Amino acid sequence: MLQFARFTATRAVLAVLTLLLVSFIVFTLMELVPGDCAERYIAFKNTQGAVITVADIEAERIRLGLDKPYLERWVKWVWGAFQGDFGDSCILRLNIAQLLGDKFKISLGLSLAALVFAYLIAIPVGIYAAVSKNRVVNNILRLVSYLGLALPNFLLALIIMLFATVYFHNSLTGLFSKEFRDAAWSWAKLVDFLKHAWLPVFILGWSATAFAIQTVRALMSDEIGKLYVTAAEARGVSGRRLLMRYPARHALAPIINSLGFDLNRIFNELPVVALILTLTEAGSLLIDALAKSNDQQLAGAIIFLLTGSIVAMNFITDILLAIMDPRVRKSILR
Amino acid sequence: MTRLLDVENLTLQFDTDEGRITAVDDVSFTLEQGEVMGLVGESGSGKSVTAKSLMRLNAANAHYSDETRVTLHLEDGPVDVMALKGARALQVVRGGAISMIFQEPMASFAPAITIGDQMVEQLLIHTDMSKARAREVSIEMLERVGIADAAQRFGQYAFELSGGMRQRAMIAMALSTRPKLLIADEPTTALDVTIQAQVIDLMKDLVKEFHMGIIFITHDLGVIAQTADKIAVMYLGRLIEQGPVREVIRNPGHPYTRGLIAALPDLEDLDKPLTPVPGDIPSPLERPTGCVFHTRCTEKVGDICAREVPRFTDVTAGHRAACHIYGQQGGGK
Repeated sequence: MLQFARFTATRAVLAVLTLLLVSFIVFTLMELVPGDCAERYIAFKNTQGAVITVADIEAERIRLGLDKPYLERWVKWVWGAFQGDFGDSCILRLNIAQLLGDKFKISLGLSLAALVFAYLIAIPVGIYAAVSKNRVVNNILRLVSYLGLALPNFLLALIIMLFATVYFHNSLTGLFSKEFRDAAWSWAKLVDFLKHAWLPVFILGWSATAFAIQTVRALMSDEIGKLYVTAAEARGVSGRRLLMRYPARHALAPIINSLGFDLNRIFNELPVVALILTLTEAGSLLIDALAKSNDQQLAGAIIFLLTGSIVAMNFITDILLAIMDPRVRKSILR
Repeated sequence: MTRLLDVENLTLQFDTDEGRITAVDDVSFTLEQGEVMGLVGESGSGKSVTAKSLMRLNAANAHYSDETRVTLHLEDGPVDVMALKGARALQVVRGGAISMIFQEPMASFAPAITIGDQMVEQLLIHTDMSKARAREVSIEMLERVGIADAAQRFGQYAFELSGGMRQRAMIAMALSTRPKLLIADEPTTALDVTIQAQVIDLMKDLVKEFHMGIIFITHDLGVIAQTADKIAVMYLGRLIEQGPVREVIRNPGHPYTRGLIAALPDLEDLDKPLTPVPGDIPSPLERPTGCVFHTRCTEKVGDICAREVPRFTDVTAGHRAACHIYGQQGGGK
């Protein structure tokens, strides 16, 4: 038990170190963008008709602390970032934490929900597909699964919206009804949110499920063919107990291992879906900040939060893996 | 002696995408209580499949012929193995009256379940012991097969044990339910030679102590000569020779058995070239007609070899071979 606590602590330290490294890379990337926040804001002012001198830019630079050395600014940024303070947006001049508000949480929540949705379906279906000798069922599953992989999310979103608009006169867009949009969180708002959120979760989960079914099926087929399963059967273990305790349990470890990767993939797909369903979430904000407004402070903050979530996810899966698989546990604890 | 096992006309085919493949063809043999039978043959000869048939452990695409009869004689009366329906009924031949140990001790333990948990699980399935009692019995069994610190090993995983210890644990697990028949599928092949000897000695001891029948599958005639009472030789799913072990090894009756014995290296004369059995085992999709061995046989009698399946003929009393060289004159060479 003490060893396990030590293992968890080691992993936590490693996770924080990873996050620091990531923050350094993110910060460097932000710096690599030509021009800095001062220039960008002044240029933005310029387009609005203000007359700007070089002295104005310099003054702005000093005001933002951009004249300080690179490492010092990184330390300051990281220190803030770990406390949830990402400074001000370059263009909008608003505190990024306020600007993001719940958007990042919503993005993460939607992605996690899609991930849970995907595996809730994929694990039983994948196991069934691996075990079942029914060719018809297997072929149908394969077809649905390929359809899920081949049909782009945005197309699925458009199809669902089309049907909803034509038959139910409801386009199903957005995440909140009008009356809740700017209201504080309450039970009513949560219920309203859930009423809207199922669609993006379903659309995001659609391809994730298809992908996960293939993974689960392949891993399960692999385990079922192993000698220890035959050996257990030869000892009289049978039915559901044989299936769950032997191959299913042993196939679970690689699945857990890939959860962090899956989350990342789903998050990357979110902006396109968000665009079509007109959701206000962080992914689309990130693309906006990167591609349109060149708002490096905002983009950096979102990337940092995203990688932070993935690092956290990997930390959790590492712990789960160690609980599940004695080989992992013993190899790290030694 | 008391009869333990009757196998009659065991024929087994597998449905594959390429068609039906015959894996075991009309195999019959018997085993007495406490008797050790060596089942010998090249890989692909059907010896493992034959042994697994006794537990009905073959894949779902396996089909047994209607003539197949496997009868296990237990104290409560005979069990018709082919008639057992459902997992519960099959438990009598799966870990109950029959246990099996496999070639790869590492791979036959589930990697993420402790050895103890797997042993206890088996005891709970087959006996009405309490969990605590099952634990005691398991640890006693581990001690019996020569594992030091048995209580500690009980809580460990297969990957934490050495190869020889794993196979000992496997034997302990197989014997913990006190089976009447033990099937050992190449139990020493994956082990170092010195460990092999230890495991074989252990098995010889246990045979006496537990008085069970053993079917010992191997391609190692040396191991068979040391351990078995009788031997059965398989080729391409058919039994081609059987008899008392010393008699068959000293005086092999079938050209294939002669080839197998001639292929063994001679420790007395190390310069002597090895004489392998010529040719390769044909693909199961192209089963030869007549005698299955005629495509590689150097002692063919004539067209009859490709035309007719040879019947078993006595070479000497209790030693029988299925070859046409005995067929024409009615036995003898």
